[in-house]
Amino acid sequence: MSSQEALDIETSTTALTTELWAASGQNALESSRILVISGTATSTSILKNLVLPGIGSFTILDPTKVTPEDAGNNFFLEGPSSIGKSRAEEAVRLLCELNDSVEGKADQRSLEEVLEKDKDWLLEFTIVIAHNLEPGSLDKLSSLLWQDPAYPPLVVVRSAGFVAEFYIQYHEHTVIESHPETAQSLRIDKPFPALLEYSMSLDFENMDVTDHAHVPYIFILVRLLEEWKKTHNGNPPTTYAEKQKFKKSILAMRKKSDEENFEEAEAQAYRAWTPTTVPSEIKALFSDPKVLSLTTSSPPFYHLLYALSKFVEEQPYHALPLTSTLPDIKASTEAYIHLQKLYKKRSEEEKEIFKGYLKVEVPEDMIDAFLKNSHALKLLRGKRWGALDADPQALASAIESGPKQVATHLALTALATVAAKQQPNAPLTPSVEDLTAAAQALLPPGTELPEEFPAAVGEVARSPTADLPNTAAFLGGLVAQEVIKMITKQYIPINGSCVVDLIDTWTGVL
Amino acid sequence: MSSHSPETADWPGRYYHIDQVLNTPGPRTDEGFLAGDGVKNFLREQAKILVIGAGGLGCEILANLALTGFKDIHVIDMDTIDISNLNRQFLFRPKDVGKSKAIVASEFIMQRVPGVKVTPYFGKIQDKDDDYYMQFNLVICGLDSVEARRWINATLVNLVDPENPESLKPMIDGGTEGFKGQARVILPTITSCYECSLDMLNKPTAFPICTIANTPRLPEHCIEWASVLEWPRVHGDKKLDTDDPDHIGWLYRVAAARAAEFKIEGVTWSLTQGVVKNIIPAIASTNAIIAAACCNEAFKIATSSAAYLNNYFMLIGTDGVYSYTFEHEKRDDCPVCGGQALEMTLSPDMSVEELIEMLTEKQDIQIKKPSLSTPTQQIYFQAPPQLEQATRPNLEKKVSELVPPNGEVTVTASTLPFSLSLRISYST
Repeated sequence: MSSQEALDIETSTTALTTELWAASGQNALESSRILVISGTATSTSILKNLVLPGIGSFTILDPTKVTPEDAGNNFFLEGPSSIGKSRAEEAVRLLCELNDSVEGKADQRSLEEVLEKDKDWLLEFTIVIAHNLEPGSLDKLSSLLWQDPAYPPLVVVRSAGFVAEFYIQYHEHTVIESHPETAQSLRIDKPFPALLEYSMSLDFENMDVTDHAHVPYIFILVRLLEEWKKTHNGNPPTTYAEKQKFKKSILAMRKKSDEENFEEAEAQAYRAWTPTTVPSEIKALFSDPKVLSLTTSSPPFYHLLYALSKFVEEQPYHALPLTSTLPDIKASTEAYIHLQKLYKKRSEEEKEIFKGYLKVEVPEDMIDAFLKNSHALKLLRGKRWGALDADPQALASAIESGPKQVATHLALTALATVAAKQQPNAPLTPSVEDLTAAAQALLPPGTELPEEFPAAVGEVARSPTADLPNTAAFLGGLVAQEVIKMITKQYIPINGSCVVDLIDTWTGVL
Repeated sequence: MSSHSPETADWPGRYYHIDQVLNTPGPRTDEGFLAGDGVKNFLREQAKILVIGAGGLGCEILANLALTGFKDIHVIDMDTIDISNLNRQFLFRPKDVGKSKAIVASEFIMQRVPGVKVTPYFGKIQDKDDDYYMQFNLVICGLDSVEARRWINATLVNLVDPENPESLKPMIDGGTEGFKGQARVILPTITSCYECSLDMLNKPTAFPICTIANTPRLPEHCIEWASVLEWPRVHGDKKLDTDDPDHIGWLYRVAAARAAEFKIEGVTWSLTQGVVKNIIPAIASTNAIIAAACCNEAFKIATSSAAYLNNYFMLIGTDGVYSYTFEHEKRDDCPVCGGQALEMTLSPDMSVEELIEMLTEKQDIQIKKPSLSTPTQQIYFQAPPQLEQATRPNLEKKVSELVPPNGEVTVTASTLPFSLSLRISYST
């Protein structure tokens, strides 16, 4: 066995996971440091799904001792034998059993103490997650983390019985590797010179029968489109009739009725008349204030965007740079590899041109990833936690677009409002009337609560302090997934709130 | 150490969280809900639940059920623990590699959650008979196999006796793939069943044999060449064991050599393993979400504490959190729960062999190795060998020679506990 094989086997445990976010994502995960505030069932459920794929380290901040209630609903406590011990220490010990390579720390200070005496400690973390914090502390924490972008993003999680919500507070989140379902354009409508030249040079008439049945459809379409344009004032097929005629001309080229490459060309014919353009979401990024006011210290993402905008503006096709990723195409091995080489050569040439527009040095693998995904880049700008509830008009219009989601969100906010008004350690048993009044007070005068509100608020009143194991596990998965997306900067995280209702079993975003 | 005896297990406050939803109804709770001791006794003393699968979903399901108060849990799994499971199947540790998943998972749960009894069965679901399945109130499936799901689904539908309400066993089914997953509630004979939705499955990627043999273009083509063509050629009858690193190593070297010959890049060990084992990437977080959704439905059905899912929840987590909850409709011509024959119009020239191929490939049927008969004669039987031999000449015959217009064909397969009725007509 070669050493490469041995290495492959050794890494096979993580290989499957890494398939979803590649080595770069796994590296980001392995160097991340997560802070989770309070060791509730929901908190440990979230951590479980982060420890398993292999974050670098985590800290649980929790001054409390395990209560009999905790011991009953938290899988990362050992039943009655954990009662009376530090909740943070017990949870850290049991979570660490899941993955030797992850470091866990228990910190028994209170959040209040950290906020008063050790704010800078929070700068150590990649992301902070807080579950069901007392409203006053949550407010202080979220304000602090928002006030300076150097602080990490905050995930606010709150739940009561069957309903829940979480929110990610970040200023900005950029994604290069969004893992889009759609591929980049093959640019059949705007063939680069070598592609056009080769397509035109093919002698279909005198070609060997086997070769004829193995010409990749890209060459066929480029060739036919060029010929079509010559007799149509340089235009591609536009009307339905023209498109049908064009398709017929593809099939007419067949020497035998079972040539699959021509069938594939017919099925892909739309590529000949669908113009390659820059997606409007990408175009919009070109005029982002941070691109327009670029400085040498701007993050690489903005430098890459600037270079992309110049490339599109100044290069003759006004298209995104070509990529060398091709789909599988019916062809002989030689023909396919020849096609791959043509695309690869051209994409490398365009990459060089693209690099010419860069004003700073950017790592090569980042440029490669950027160009591969230039049709699916994402720039998300977030808001402060609580911004929605502080804006009655915004709430009113959110009710219009997502009444069900807002109903659940308002019920949970009302619970926090009621909790903030009472003594810290008094039992929390709010009435539906009190909760409804608290929710109503957030809306502009005259605006009615959504009709779904009673169904949501009734659940909150029924189980205001219940951290149900299934709800905790559900949130544990959802929140961990979003945190993985934030850390790896791959896939697209939510921008705002995600609301969960586990009675009718739905999720929604706000 | 904690005690396992139920008398001491329920310490005061243990169910503080759960009891909030068991002591009081909510706005969406059915009137039949027995708030308080009635429902708690049923859940903790009487309810008996079966979990099928102790893998990625199964580990999560077992933990959730135990915490929510189910105390009599059974689990079936035929697999043993592989090192590659440890990054998500969180009840297993490196020392458990090679042991039964069902047994190790059961022991872990009983140790961690006092007073819960988990009974493992290390074997196949097909080993068990109707009496076995009859003893449960609910069945939750966390499987990665379509065949196993079809089997248990058909078994639970067949179990329903209209005279006996106890015979209706709700089946909750979960599945995940990368960042995507689904959870559903099946009330056998009442709601759409697993077979009703067979056409929703993604078709597995199949590479044409001529591409593999003659014109490879992708690394996957070279790996398929090694496993489908070269392995049997070189090793004869020796079965390929995809869990054996030596076998995977052989395939990897053969595929890599072929790729080099054709100047194709990208054959790696993990790709080889992924292609031959048909591995779908799985992650802890998606499993957690789907398992939680399944257990939550089980809890709501067992306690009536809240309305339950009607009947399909689908989640896609790649771009934000997108989910879709809808009612999947029952199919009248479902071979398992529909009762009506499936109408099929064939060309009068279609041969029996072509019909068999179609039954294998058609999205809503997908029956591997089907045997065919009419009410009066056997058309083609896959087994036993004598019968196969006797009916083999029919393969080349036209269906229209053997089945009159509007005639009925019964399709069976040894892997599935049901038969499919086709009503055949011919296009003119």
